[in-house]
Amino acid sequence: VSAAGTGQATGQAGDMPARDPAGAAVLERRYRRLLRCYPPSHREFHREEMLGVLLAAARPGQRTPGLRETVNLAACGLAIRVRRIPGWLAADAGQDALAVVSLITPAVVLILLALGREAMDATAAARDPFWGWPPFPPSAGHFVVVMTAWLAVVLLGLAGARRTAAAIASISLTIAWLAVLTVISLLLGQSAFPPGGLIQFPAAGFNVVLASLAACSLALSPGPRRGLAVVGWRRACLMIAGLSAGFGFPAIVQLVHPAAPVGDLAFRLLGVLAIALAVAVTRVRGPVGWRVAGLVAAGLLPSLAVLQGVGRAALQRSNFLGTYFVWTFSGWTLLVILLVAVLVWPVAIVSRLGRVSRASRAR
Amino acid sequence: MYVYDMKKRSMQEPTFLILTALAAGPQHGYGIITDAERISGGVTRLQTGTLYMALDRLRSARLVEPDREEVADGRLRRYYRLTDQGATLLAAETDRRRASAAVAAQRLRTRLAGGTA
Repeated sequence: VSAAGTGQATGQAGDMPARDPAGAAVLERRYRRLLRCYPPSHREFHREEMLGVLLAAARPGQRTPGLRETVNLAACGLAIRVRRIPGWLAADAGQDALAVVSLITPAVVLILLALGREAMDATAAARDPFWGWPPFPPSAGHFVVVMTAWLAVVLLGLAGARRTAAAIASISLTIAWLAVLTVISLLLGQSAFPPGGLIQFPAAGFNVVLASLAACSLALSPGPRRGLAVVGWRRACLMIAGLSAGFGFPAIVQLVHPAAPVGDLAFRLLGVLAIALAVAVTRVRGPVGWRVAGLVAAGLLPSLAVLQGVGRAALQRSNFLGTYFVWTFSGWTLLVILLVAVLVWPVAIVSRLGRVSRASRAR
Repeated sequence: MYVYDMKKRSMQEPTFLILTALAAGPQHGYGIITDAERISGGVTRLQTGTLYMALDRLRSARLVEPDREEVADGRLRRYYRLTDQGATLLAAETDRRRASAAVAAQRLRTRLAGGTA
């Protein structure tokens, strides 16, 4: 809301700034671009009338949207998108999408764990003292336990024991969280973070986001069997392979070339592209559409954090909680991972509550 | 679809202004903005984004609905009208505001009578 004075010169209702048709066309084009902040369904219904209102309210000769107007349109568009997420998930198609996610993400986590373990062996032999840090690498026994747990999640899910699978996934997720917290405590005390660190470490990194998605989709959806009914075996395998390849990109490259420059920005950008392509594989025909991709894309967000470092080669230090926190690519990635992995839950819970209350109203 | 339970929270100023602007009859978007400014005595000028976010919410809560469309100067204009449900909610909010204002006026009179002004 703007509590502003009436100083702004405005035309009468419906009176467009016709004195400068070329300028009006430029302004219209810029407004159209801004309206892309709104969700497609909202745009389809409101775009033309909103353009009419925006142009009617424009000053004569105005060619650029005002700053406050730009911020207002962008903020409202994003707010509407966010507001629609619970409804989007609570709808039947959203529940089906969540079921597909509960089918594919545990398998992807399992594959990424195995890939990460292999890559770690290869890397540790080739270079990098990082793996010699106190809690790293986790012992072979730790890996067997974690991988057995996720294998159990996959199999129990397929067998229809959704709740048990969800419980085991949640426990494994908690362990992964502890690993992340260990990394944070180490970061707080270190002057530099080893290149490529988090992307390689299998218990942290993307796996926490994917494990979070797996655990919460198992807990709050009809489960993997429904997911299988929606997409079928072949499609499910394709999705799992695509996502494993995308999210496991650095590990796969390191398996082939142990000395690959995983810390390089160009390499990381390639990784982002690989994940984006992999997420696109999860598109499903019919009402589910892009919903699975939308959910899995949450795993892409942390990797986008590397973009903030474009053009910044040197490490930067910043005072954080009274101690030095290193704002490297990995530091930012870690923060985004934490945010995304935590935010996955309330969104799914709110959508579930919305669904339950709607069902009770319908009764 | 998302349902907004407005009875449980106090109505925000833009919502109140939009519903009031539509109380006497249907209006289009720009009409609502200018009317809301007039109603608020020039204090509040709704931004276009704010207006359509509110309309989106009010429409899904079935408090307003599209009335008709027309084309003026080659532009689509959609008119909105208040639903019966919206009118009921606006009436309740008006009573609530009137009661609050009455209490405020009463307290101010007491203050003046007590000579503490």
